[in-house]
Amino acid sequence: MSGRLEGRVAIVTGAGQGVGEGIARRLAAEGAHVVIAARRAATGQPVADSIVGDGGSAVCIPTDVTDRRSVEQCVASTVDRFGSLHVMVHNAFAGGIPHRLEDADLDRHWEAMSRSAVWGSFYCAQVASPHLAAAGAHGRLILVSSPSGIEGSANIPLYSPVKAAQRAIAKSLAREWGHHGVTVNCIAPVAGSPALVSAFERNPALRDAIEARTPLGRVGESTVDIGSVALFLASDDAGYVTGQTIVCDGGSFLGL
Amino acid sequence: MRRQILDSGYRSGVEAAENASMSRVIRPRFDPVARAFDSITDAQWHVAWEDPLRATIVEMQAAFHAGVRRIVVVLPTTAMSGGARYAHTAAAAEGIRVLVKSAARQWGSSGVTVNAVAVRPDDILDDPSVAGPSSLAPGALATSDAAALIEFLCSDMSADVTGQTIVVDGGVWM
Repeated sequence: MSGRLEGRVAIVTGAGQGVGEGIARRLAAEGAHVVIAARRAATGQPVADSIVGDGGSAVCIPTDVTDRRSVEQCVASTVDRFGSLHVMVHNAFAGGIPHRLEDADLDRHWEAMSRSAVWGSFYCAQVASPHLAAAGAHGRLILVSSPSGIEGSANIPLYSPVKAAQRAIAKSLAREWGHHGVTVNCIAPVAGSPALVSAFERNPALRDAIEARTPLGRVGESTVDIGSVALFLASDDAGYVTGQTIVCDGGSFLGL
Repeated sequence: MRRQILDSGYRSGVEAAENASMSRVIRPRFDPVARAFDSITDAQWHVAWEDPLRATIVEMQAAFHAGVRRIVVVLPTTAMSGGARYAHTAAAAEGIRVLVKSAARQWGSSGVTVNAVAVRPDDILDDPSVAGPSSLAPGALATSDAAALIEFLCSDMSADVTGQTIVVDGGVWM
């Protein structure tokens, strides 16, 4: 298999399902060696097997992004196996229970989101940093944020600050790491993630509401719609794009 | 010196505003120290990210339950710009800035407005040369003072203004 990422090495966290899986599949289809950094091998291994079955290169390394040592082991194993690391995609996320802000309980409504999104970004970026710097102009850090990280959220108010923080981290590291040639960007997707699919099951009217407010009239597909944006950011084509957030949501958010 | 002048301005403006109406001005305790990202420890990240977010959430909740109708949060423009060696502080500032929007969305139906005032990085952070947009390029205006804006946002004159970030930095960040 050959493609735009031929020979590059990428880690995708939360790649056992949803948006992470879509990104991993798209990067692998363009020739990248992809590490499926899923929390559980039960979800990550089938994705890796499927990519290999399609002629790609992938391994599953179970990783808990809320644990620095686990991220260190993932990155060390990746570099051991493939010799380098060019692209780190942090997508893993946990939490997201709807709540009222005035009644929110920090243990129940904040902890998991802060740990997975923000601490996870901190660990993934910091541990990958020397390898991305060594990759120079091929080095990429991509954080999966959300439109809610720009416009706030009326349903899950404490979701928005963790997703906003990822955008600020990306801008700051774009400034700080630019001299290596490394780029740092965010994707803010709306796609058929497991969380959204289960929300649709609980509330069938939600899909209609989202589609009605989306100019393109549909919810995004993880591999084609979101994975392709990640591929662009990971490729040499995006070598002069850094510190940005690409919103891929069919046009429902137009406020940037 | 600039921070002392601003603190004094804040105090007079904010005290007048808080006495005049049911308003609350929240000034999160951002980590003012520039830190190379690769050198930040878990403990430093906790102080820079986790502590100000948790404290601000709790302070906003307390204000809401106390019947406060105007909530104003003061943060550096580094929230929007990011800053080299300030990823830790930018994360907290931008997280809080967008939390303001979520609060505005939920609490608007209760007549509560929530807004952010974004000030120059050097009003809050130690190293303005890397803290954000200023880098200290000259602003369009020679001065910037947030007190009058805070007073406005704490008053009923701003009853229809919510979820906004208003930059008061003399035109450094546009």
